[in-house]
Amino acid sequence: MARKRSPARLVIALSVAAVLVVFLLYTSIAGRGTPMIQPSELRGRTEIVSLAGHVVGTPSGNPHAGRLKFQLRDIRGGAREKVTVLYRGSVPDLFRPGRDVVVDGQLRNGIFVAVPGSLITKCPSKYAPDPQQT
Amino acid sequence: MPELGRAALVVTLGLALYALVAGAWAASKRRRRLAQSAQNALLAAFGTSLVAAAVLAVALVRRDYSLVYVWQFTSSELPLRYTISSLWGGQAGSLLFWLVVLCGYSAAAILLNRRSSRDLLAWTVPVLAAVAVFFSLLLVAVASPFVTQVAPLDGRGLNPSLQNPYMLAHPIFLYLGYVGLTVPFAFAMGALLSRRTDERWIVVTRRATLVAWTALGVGQLLGSKWAYEEVGWGGFYAWDPVENAALMPWLAATAYLHSVMVQEKRGMLRIWNVLLVILAFALSIFGTFLTRSGILTSIHSFTQSSIGAWFLGFLTLTVAGSLALLFSRLPLLRARTRLESLVSREATFLYNNLLLVALCLTILWGVVYPILSEAVRGEGANLGAGYYNFFLRVFGLPLLLLMGIGPLVAWRRASWRSLGLTFLWPLGVATATGGVLLALGAGSSIPGLIAYTFSAFVLAAIVLEFARGTRARRALGDPTWLRALTRLIGRNRRRYGGYLVHASIVMLAIGIAGSSAYDSVREGKLARGDTISISGYRLQYRALEERAGPNATELRAVFGVERNGDDLGTVAAGKNAYTAERQVSNEVGLRHDYLTAEDLFVIAEQIDPDGSVYVRIFVKPLVNLLWLSGVLFLLGALVTLWPDAREQRRLAVRYSVAGVPSRS
Repeated sequence: MARKRSPARLVIALSVAAVLVVFLLYTSIAGRGTPMIQPSELRGRTEIVSLAGHVVGTPSGNPHAGRLKFQLRDIRGGAREKVTVLYRGSVPDLFRPGRDVVVDGQLRNGIFVAVPGSLITKCPSKYAPDPQQT
Repeated sequence: MPELGRAALVVTLGLALYALVAGAWAASKRRRRLAQSAQNALLAAFGTSLVAAAVLAVALVRRDYSLVYVWQFTSSELPLRYTISSLWGGQAGSLLFWLVVLCGYSAAAILLNRRSSRDLLAWTVPVLAAVAVFFSLLLVAVASPFVTQVAPLDGRGLNPSLQNPYMLAHPIFLYLGYVGLTVPFAFAMGALLSRRTDERWIVVTRRATLVAWTALGVGQLLGSKWAYEEVGWGGFYAWDPVENAALMPWLAATAYLHSVMVQEKRGMLRIWNVLLVILAFALSIFGTFLTRSGILTSIHSFTQSSIGAWFLGFLTLTVAGSLALLFSRLPLLRARTRLESLVSREATFLYNNLLLVALCLTILWGVVYPILSEAVRGEGANLGAGYYNFFLRVFGLPLLLLMGIGPLVAWRRASWRSLGLTFLWPLGVATATGGVLLALGAGSSIPGLIAYTFSAFVLAAIVLEFARGTRARRALGDPTWLRALTRLIGRNRRRYGGYLVHASIVMLAIGIAGSSAYDSVREGKLARGDTISISGYRLQYRALEERAGPNATELRAVFGVERNGDDLGTVAAGKNAYTAERQVSNEVGLRHDYLTAEDLFVIAEQIDPDGSVYVRIFVKPLVNLLWLSGVLFLLGALVTLWPDAREQRRLAVRYSVAGVPSRS
């Protein structure tokens, strides 16, 4: 417990914090994140991704008994590709054709098999509602 | 009427601009009368912003659909109370609310300090005014709540999930918190600008900071309660960017509240404290930027809007400006004393600060990661809840433990021997608790077990402090134990109020650990008459009921609940179909157990035309401690906030040399 050395110790404490930050950067860059992509970017990818898209057509099936089947298209841009999603689990209140949704899952034989319970709707904001909705 | 609102906003902008320019001129040229005039302008701005808010409130109540804002967020069927909450339910309205709160805080800061801290206030007023200019400019030029149209027959109504009593209170508290952080920021900048870099700006803003911090904390708990009951996925916090946006400034402010004590007592950490204040304020603006810019995907998901660029610009200006100012004043901020020992109160505060800031920055990293990833790799990526939960444990559990250790360690230098004596009992209690819990099977979750053991340690330390203090007061001649206890708290409000807040955080930790580490879940499809069992409960699906609510059709599946053969009544879960809004909203069924703080949580996921329901049921032990901790948190905060004449006198003596520039 030397008396005059304390600022050095402060530096040590701070560098411990810095090491932690580096560790953090490392763990995140090293690919712990789930990629967020659009339907048109999905082709050929087989890892688990977060898919954001616009619901088109009429959803069919039952999300609790069996699977809910719906199609997604890009939200932005003119890409016409559609991908079929198979989903099980809770369906948000706002889910319906015309909405934007985000769902996790992976491509298997051309069909996007969703992680159960991962469906989220991007609702029109309470801050700036989409005028087309009514 | 809209003309009056618009005019009031333009006048507010003018007054704030005047307060900024005249205030800065007066402060740099030491013109006293002009400085007072700037203060008065800011006071008047509070009045005019109130007028604007009143105009909007009246329009909302009268359902004046010729205002686009009113049409967007109300409908003829919307109950009156939610009409009021539409005031802050939308973009423009919430900015107006922000401006009113900001001007209110500014007015209070001016009125409370214009006599005692005139020199400090001189530069603080222009800083407050600058923030007010930004918000009133937004309201005048970018997002006016007073845009008119040809009135449609009916409004579009308020988002059903916002039609909830908690949504009346949650935003108010949150804004009181967010905006309140402007006050310590403005005083810190004021102190730097006027070169009064002693501890006075901290003493002067202690209450304002505490008010803001308390409001932000309570606001978040109210938001969690809302999410728990209304959003209804079985949790109360989802690490969503919008939630994190409130948590980050709260963590920074928590660090600040602790480290200022070191500066007050020992004159250390002066630069650090200014940095924390800047961080807290910048995070509150950053949070607003996140929620308004649509830059992030979130459950709350905000559509793209041009206002984000304004916030980003303001944020950049604020951070760059305040850091440059801090840098130019560094020589004035040298610490007068040094850290003497790593086992001292100062040191534990330092550890607490490092952990809190690390946690805060970790969350920040998680929030901006998708943006950075998009920029660097050209493809967005999300860090999931696992990331946040991991770091919450890594930084949160040591923080929990520190809460028990810190308050009992002596200032300057503590001896290991005395520490051993102090912590003998808490250690014993913690070990015993850990052992008993392990025997009871709590080892199923190691972080949960650690959290409970640490919690026992902290609670024992706090109880011991109260017991020691009360006994000492009794020995000094207080007639009864109760009297001794109230005197003890009354005479050391900051200390014992702080202990109460600590106890509330422990309670929160117990609630979080209980409901997330030891919960159970079951789901299944039930036809009428079917039963489902989950951890001791047995639910029978009895009936499907439909009734007409004020603005929605309410469909409910009713379940009879039994536990170990006892009839516990019924729980109803279902869906509301809102007419005007054309939306369906899930309404969960809840049964609180007041004795064990446990919840039975029923979600009717899907109701089929044949009357069968698909349910998801949670049993969440101890979850109600979360909400109870909010009450204790508020109580503790009120104790520390309550005016204390003796403390005021002490401070008056210490700073009686007001007007003398700081020693440097």
